[in-house]
Amino acid sequence: MYDFTYQKPGTVADAVKLLGADDEAKALAGGMTFIPVLKQRLNKPSVVVDLSKLGLSGISVSGNTVTIGAMTTHATVAGSPEVKAKLPALAALASGIGDNQVRHRGTIGGSLANNDPSACYPAAALALGATITTDRRTIAAGDFFHGMFTTALEQGEIITAVSFPVPEKAGYEKFPNPASRYAMVGVFVAKTAAGARVAITGAGQGGVFRHAGLERALSANFSPDAVAGVPISADDLNSDIHASAPYRAHLIGVITKRAVAKAR
Amino acid sequence: MDAIAQDTGIDRIELRRKNFIPADAFPYQTPVALQYDSGDYEATLKGALFASDYAGFEARRSAAAAKGKLRGLGISTYLEACGIAPSAVVGSLGARAGLYEVANIRVHPTGSVTVFTGTHSHGQGHETTLAQLVCEQLGVPMAQVEIVHGDTAKIPFGMGTYGSRSLAVGGTAMVKAMDKIIAKGKKIAAHLMEAAVEDIEFKDNVFSVAGTDKTKTLADISLAAYVPHNYPIDELEPGLDETAFYDPKNFTFPGGCHIAEVEIDPETGVVTVINFTAVDDVGRVINPMIVEGQIQGGVAQGIGQALLEHAVYDKSGQLLSGSMMDYTMPRADNLPNISVGTETTLCTHNPLGVKGCGEVGAIGSPPAIINAVVDALKQYGVRHINMPATPEKIWSIIQAGRPAAAAE
Repeated sequence: MYDFTYQKPGTVADAVKLLGADDEAKALAGGMTFIPVLKQRLNKPSVVVDLSKLGLSGISVSGNTVTIGAMTTHATVAGSPEVKAKLPALAALASGIGDNQVRHRGTIGGSLANNDPSACYPAAALALGATITTDRRTIAAGDFFHGMFTTALEQGEIITAVSFPVPEKAGYEKFPNPASRYAMVGVFVAKTAAGARVAITGAGQGGVFRHAGLERALSANFSPDAVAGVPISADDLNSDIHASAPYRAHLIGVITKRAVAKAR
Repeated sequence: MDAIAQDTGIDRIELRRKNFIPADAFPYQTPVALQYDSGDYEATLKGALFASDYAGFEARRSAAAAKGKLRGLGISTYLEACGIAPSAVVGSLGARAGLYEVANIRVHPTGSVTVFTGTHSHGQGHETTLAQLVCEQLGVPMAQVEIVHGDTAKIPFGMGTYGSRSLAVGGTAMVKAMDKIIAKGKKIAAHLMEAAVEDIEFKDNVFSVAGTDKTKTLADISLAAYVPHNYPIDELEPGLDETAFYDPKNFTFPGGCHIAEVEIDPETGVVTVINFTAVDDVGRVINPMIVEGQIQGGVAQGIGQALLEHAVYDKSGQLLSGSMMDYTMPRADNLPNISVGTETTLCTHNPLGVKGCGEVGAIGSPPAIINAVVDALKQYGVRHINMPATPEKIWSIIQAGRPAAAAE
């Protein structure tokens, strides 16, 4: 780890000021990716701005919208009675991220801002059509993810909350990388009044993406059987030592079917 | 063995039985120098077949098929050369080290004992097992025995821990050193109790004169040795501290039978190990719990090798599996309940009768797992799968086999 200055502001405005004042400043949420990156000296920030005292954790439900504060941990989401009642698929997704220690440190805002191509939360945000609220604006999930580790966030912009519209049904299933346990293929399916939405993480070279063919088939018939026969191209999918692109393409079909089967 | 069974039509169990050295044929001189001292392969096979409910397997296979899973059972029967090793033999094979082991037994004036061993405990529990040997031979309570290992500033020059040798070779060095302690103690006891050395007996920490009620404890003798006021000082050096080296006469030959049951998800190629049974002959068992733990750990490692672990390099020689994010170590949720049993024949050439248990789990398990995977996939015409049997590899086999199966 290189030397850096540590700041722990008490308001969002102060945090934004600290981050905006310095191109080398970095925000620290749960740190489950950032701290290992620092330890490996892959990043050399001037200032690390700890977001833990900004009052950004908490879960609220208003009508058919579940809003989760950016600094809410995966364990809190997984254990929340409100989330379990309104969005059980999201609670189940959170309960399967990392291990127990990671779930008690890692946050939803940190996961979305990092946009790891194998992270689980981006699939939920994209499939559910979430709205990401920052210190200065709201961003639709469809506009938020700009490819691997890249988002619509500007330098110094902080996610404050994420709002999820409650669908008719939703389900998440992942095929974990056997070593890292990140999603090798993770599929979030949602049945909404406007049709089905399918977001896939872990598989694409550009990070999380929606699949038009699967959405069409599931909009017509939201059932596991509808997945069979949908062509899934291996183009633009990742190939690594654990799974080739054609194997990932095959898994997308299988995992989508299973996500639909468990959707509720 | 399974491929031969398939080609000859001989049942895979019977084929193995036909190739076993019968229990009454030991010691068994092999055509290639080594002589196997003892073993009963039928006993370990029988034990494993029983413990794994082999007879009920086809019913379990059908039940798995009903829920869309491919179930397979794999057997491996093995023996290995452990307790390494006779220095002359390994020297003739090109080794440039001796493979003896050493023990220094220090009896303190209070009768407590410190053992300085040339083997090393990095999780194998020597602190317990080696202390049991002192307890057994010298009658010293476990709490009064300290095992010192690994600190080269303290221990004599030994060879360390590998090749399932610590007890068979290092333990035997301890036995020899304790024999010297008892022999010297008898001379001191003879002097103190005014008797002939031949009449001194040692049992359960006590020296006694045969046919009398005269006794001295090991602590009495040790104190006399370190405070030699009344002591055969002309014949004996003070102190009660002995070192022995042991160069083994032969390898030891643990053997056994491992049976694995796996289920394959044909949609993803994921292999799940459902049951694992290991019945091994490790010679005399000094500490059953430690033997069970050693074998469970070995089986976990073997499952890792068979299904998960893989050092992958790209064409330019760059290691691609360079961290735990990519190198798949077995973890608790990769492992089944591992049922461990032992069937004992004693090693005939070391005084403890032990053969070693550190490696048997890792030796018997990979072929059992791979045989089970091949058995589960037999409808796809598979005869062999290279380790590790990863999900993508299994999926590819199923994909390739599917058209052929459909054409039949």
